[in-house]
Amino acid sequence: MKKRFTGVWATFEFLDDTCSSIQSLKESGFNKLTTHTPCPRHEIDHALGDPQSRVPFATLTGAFFGFGVAVLVVVWMTLDWILPVSAKPVVSVPIMGPIAFEFSVLMSIYFTIGAMILLIAKDTFAHPVPKSKKYRQYNRFLRDRFGVVVLCGADDIPKVEGILKKHQAEEVNLED
Amino acid sequence: MSQISYGNVNDTIVKSMMPPGRSWLIGMLFILSALSMGIFAWGFQIRHGLEVSGISHPIGWGVYITNFVFWIGIGHAGTLISAVLYLVRAPFRTSIYRASEAMTVFAVMTAGLFPVIHLGRAALAYWLLPYPNQRGLWVNFKSPLLWDVFAIATYMSVSIAFFILGLIPDLAAVRDESKGLKRFLYGIPAMGFRGTNHQWLHYMRGYLLFAAIATPLVFSVHSIVSWDFAMSSIPGWHSTIFAPYFVAGAIFSGCAMVLTIMIPLRIAFPGFADIIKVKDLEGMAKMIIFTSLIVTYSYAVEFFVAYYSGARFERALFWFRPFGELKPFFWLMVFCNCIAPIALWVKKIRVSIPALFIISIFVNIGMWLERFNIVGTSLAHDFDPFVWGNYQFEWGEIWITIGSFGWFFMWFFIFVKIMPSLAVAELKESIKPPLRNSK
Repeated sequence: MKKRFTGVWATFEFLDDTCSSIQSLKESGFNKLTTHTPCPRHEIDHALGDPQSRVPFATLTGAFFGFGVAVLVVVWMTLDWILPVSAKPVVSVPIMGPIAFEFSVLMSIYFTIGAMILLIAKDTFAHPVPKSKKYRQYNRFLRDRFGVVVLCGADDIPKVEGILKKHQAEEVNLED
Repeated sequence: MSQISYGNVNDTIVKSMMPPGRSWLIGMLFILSALSMGIFAWGFQIRHGLEVSGISHPIGWGVYITNFVFWIGIGHAGTLISAVLYLVRAPFRTSIYRASEAMTVFAVMTAGLFPVIHLGRAALAYWLLPYPNQRGLWVNFKSPLLWDVFAIATYMSVSIAFFILGLIPDLAAVRDESKGLKRFLYGIPAMGFRGTNHQWLHYMRGYLLFAAIATPLVFSVHSIVSWDFAMSSIPGWHSTIFAPYFVAGAIFSGCAMVLTIMIPLRIAFPGFADIIKVKDLEGMAKMIIFTSLIVTYSYAVEFFVAYYSGARFERALFWFRPFGELKPFFWLMVFCNCIAPIALWVKKIRVSIPALFIISIFVNIGMWLERFNIVGTSLAHDFDPFVWGNYQFEWGEIWITIGSFGWFFMWFFIFVKIMPSLAVAELKESIKPPLRNSK
């Protein structure tokens, strides 16, 4: 059975109202926040405490993996059928350059995409959002409205509602 | 529209994706006619062999390899604009990068056809891939042609991934603006994107990394294409300047193609003129001036090196290019690539839309001719006078070349109708957000 969401979600017309409401919520101890914005905004990041993404670790891992696989493939295939060309080395390091570079790039891209998908899924799971039809069908978050979703206990709902209204939320919806 | 708001951006995009009108359909008819010509000629070539192309002794690489290098060059500008200009935060990039990225993907798709067409026996194209043949022999990793297979395949994968990644938030915006089946269909590629802080955080970091990784890739791909030539010993090809010369040439031609595409797009869709500003096109014109200078310098250096090195074969070739049988191609190239862009130094011309469009067409023609000069004249005039020859254009390769433009523009026409051709989220990022206290 799906876990029920209890909390409040609100929409804002202005970015500065959204940021000030996030700061007030955090100061009041409500840290389970999800925001919606039509485009990435640093002001929201600052209000949320500048969270960091771990995607770069996956990119670096992908680059090393690609480089290693490329070198192994070239060495193995070259040794599997030796083509002697005068006194040139059978396994030549410079010729690995382009293949290793291209493969590093390719793998780092794949690892980056994979990490993005996994991390977004993980964070979304850790910060549940309302299941209500009204929330799911609200279609202005990617148009021109900002949104704040607060996960809290049923007892805290009036307090959260008050904070959001104080910061001139356009619409406040209670989910209990 | 004097003041662009977040809502305006969505409305403009949604309007551009309305069902096609008469002009779109007439344009598509021309495009499909060109494509049909190409398909017919290729089919004829597969049936009758390479006799329908001008490829013959001594010019074994003709129009097809010229087209391959030309289209790869066109494909360069998209990643340059989306990745390199993103990293340096160039302000004129935002309005044009989505269409440039689409151009990259379609240009690389077009370029990828030409090695297969050039093979003649297209069904054996898989021999290019590293797999053991009947005798257990692997591919030759010492060949730059194989490096090219890896480079082009990687470039295509990364360009497509970058393109799709950039589209996700914008497709989600289109989904939210749609109803019924359209909403469902746009919802699938939007992958549940709703613009949450968690989504933007990882998305933006991934996008930045993509840009950082794609930047060296932009320079590597055309360098490797240039080594297809430079690592041989043919006069006119065996040159260390080839990598930077090819990269600059690719950016030059790609920027010109961006103008060739964006100017009609700006006229075709209402509202686009407010978003794709003249100063954005002027930024591209400045890129053309800069890269034209590099290309002109490279032409001059090639001649100087031929003279200064004292290499007789090199000197003979560089005499043949401007004064031999193929000289019209050389002089037309010089006019299009070195002389015509000089007009862009004048601000009045740089901000004139018709002038920009005409110059961009000249540059496109000039860059095709440059590739033909490199491929054709060098092979026509190598070491032994006994094998010197000329190039005779045949109908098959001309039709296939026309068909390649049909193929490229067919995808682009489809793209502008089913995908957001402007970057919604990035455009919103670049405009002032709605603030209650705007001071």
